[in-house]
Amino acid sequence: MRTGQADNTGPITAENADERRERMAIVVFAGLVVLAFAGLIWRCYHLQCASADHYAQLSLRQQCAYLPLEPQRGAILDCRGRVLAASNQIRTVFVDPMIVEDPKETANALAPILDLPAHEICKMITDRGAYRYAPIATGVDSSAAEAARLVHGVGVQYGWQRHYPMGRLASHVTGYTSSDNRGLGGIEYEFDGELRGEGARHVFFVDVHRRPLSFAVGQRSGDNGMPTNGDSVILTIDTTIQQFVREELLKQYKAFEAEAAMAVVADPRSGAILAMVSLPDFDPQNIGRTDPNYFLNRVLTDQYEPGSIIKPFSAAIALDTGVVNTHETIFCEHGNYRGRGFGRIGEYRQGFGDLTLREILQNSSNIGMAKLGQRMGAERLYEGLTLFGFGKRIGIDLPGEGEGLLRPPSEWTGYSVTRIPFGQEISVTAIQLVRALCMLANGGRLVRPHVIEAIVKPDGSVVDIRPPALRVGYVIKPQVARWVVQDAMTAVVNDGTGKRAQLERWQVFGKTGTAQLARSDGRGYEERAYVASFMGGAPAEDPRIVVLVSVRRPNYALRKGYTGGTIAAPVAAAIIERTLTYLEGPQRPADSETIARVSRP
Amino acid sequence: MASRLCFALVILFFAATLIVAVHMRGANRRAFYTLRTCTVEQRHLQQELWRKQLQVEALTNPASVSQRLER
Repeated sequence: MRTGQADNTGPITAENADERRERMAIVVFAGLVVLAFAGLIWRCYHLQCASADHYAQLSLRQQCAYLPLEPQRGAILDCRGRVLAASNQIRTVFVDPMIVEDPKETANALAPILDLPAHEICKMITDRGAYRYAPIATGVDSSAAEAARLVHGVGVQYGWQRHYPMGRLASHVTGYTSSDNRGLGGIEYEFDGELRGEGARHVFFVDVHRRPLSFAVGQRSGDNGMPTNGDSVILTIDTTIQQFVREELLKQYKAFEAEAAMAVVADPRSGAILAMVSLPDFDPQNIGRTDPNYFLNRVLTDQYEPGSIIKPFSAAIALDTGVVNTHETIFCEHGNYRGRGFGRIGEYRQGFGDLTLREILQNSSNIGMAKLGQRMGAERLYEGLTLFGFGKRIGIDLPGEGEGLLRPPSEWTGYSVTRIPFGQEISVTAIQLVRALCMLANGGRLVRPHVIEAIVKPDGSVVDIRPPALRVGYVIKPQVARWVVQDAMTAVVNDGTGKRAQLERWQVFGKTGTAQLARSDGRGYEERAYVASFMGGAPAEDPRIVVLVSVRRPNYALRKGYTGGTIAAPVAAAIIERTLTYLEGPQRPADSETIARVSRP
Repeated sequence: MASRLCFALVILFFAATLIVAVHMRGANRRAFYTLRTCTVEQRHLQQELWRKQLQVEALTNPASVSQRLER
């Protein structure tokens, strides 16, 4: 309100000053309010726009839970569907020490549930006090796990454990896994990629109690999918035959206090390995306490001079190349053959005069074989042995296979061409011998030993991965192979060094071998250290199975014998008898016996 | 009096509708939680069955039969 204009003195100035102060205060206050709102608007912009992604991530992290789903590792089965290895889910009860306020109270609550002493549980919790995870018990059953989960600070974790129901039986073939389910040997290692499967991850929105409310959109491709379980593997191994082989081999291994022993049974027509045993073996469930040397599958890894056991192959090559026939005789120098360039060659026992090829094998004459080698010459002998598969890996579907050693002819001396035919100056593995024996027994056809029959996908579809049977292509002529098996090698068993392999029901064919072990410094052979072997099969007229048995370093001091005929041949006979009885059934009485029984009152 | 009663009823039904709507809004999540619980339980039972099968395998395989016969 205007006052009079004439006199603008004291009272008017004071009012104006008051008004100005008020206006100032309003302006300042309004300014502050504007600033505050500007600040809020900026903060909103910062939160909603500039840092939107960051806070969205934080929010997701809080609201979302991630559940990794481990796939179930595939099973390993034998040819009849029996389980050799399989995975099963196990529960682990754990405690979060950071959440637990009183470890003693938690331990007392868990002790009756888990059937463990409370003080032990308390120690497990306090030992891991700085961590968020203290495992207490593994392999807990479902009721105990549910009861334990109710205790504050206790959780249950699910994982996979590998089981080997047959224990040691086929341990070298099956192999074993690490604690994080990675294959470390055998089929577990060789087919780890197929057995492992593929994991997945589920992403959920969860409530405050971490209970899933719905699926959330995952950040990785494959989130919220299902895990793909591993493929299962079916082997050619028959665990019944495997058990026969292991039992018989173990008896002899212990009786002769051998360093090692191995045995293989195979189907010569297809090359399928029906049994493969290497001693000493191990329990794949308890590998932590196993001597690492026991993990060696000696059937594949041990390379040794085969000795006389290679003679049938040398003889077959000689026949096939036409340097000898089955009727002519070879003079065997009465046990003492020497000459320039090849030193002196003797026999294991007595000397011989004229021998046919059959008799050379029957009596295992070194001189006879040396002369055959000289007739063949280095090139033909070498070619024949490489056709049989010596000197290179056969490519079996197991890890650790050795190559053996067969030097090329350019490195041979006069000694080589006379020594190699009777198994010196050549190094082989047991699986190479088995392959060569299969080829001899099946009429000279190429074959590839294998242990995998098929792979089964999680959806049940079967992938047959056996190597295709080769219908064409002969390593040696069928008639040569037939003669060696049905004539010469049966003579070894019937009248020669392999008499302990004879069976009543079947005609067994075979060859014994007693090879000396070379010294580690490469200078000659160790004293009284041998590998006693027998390879053969039955029935000779149509071989159904072939067997190789090798016993390394039997204890000479026991004076029970050390030769292949003494140690390995009886084992092979027992294996052949049990296996053929299992495959063909028990022997039926002859017809005349049946009639006689029926007609008796 | 009648109008007050109507008013009260309207408020009551409105409140009830809101409560039911909120409850149904969470039905999907409850169903999901129940489904997940049952799925996990089913998997555990399958594994339990597989564990029993492995126990049977361990008892009937050639190695364990041989061991029992020897004893």
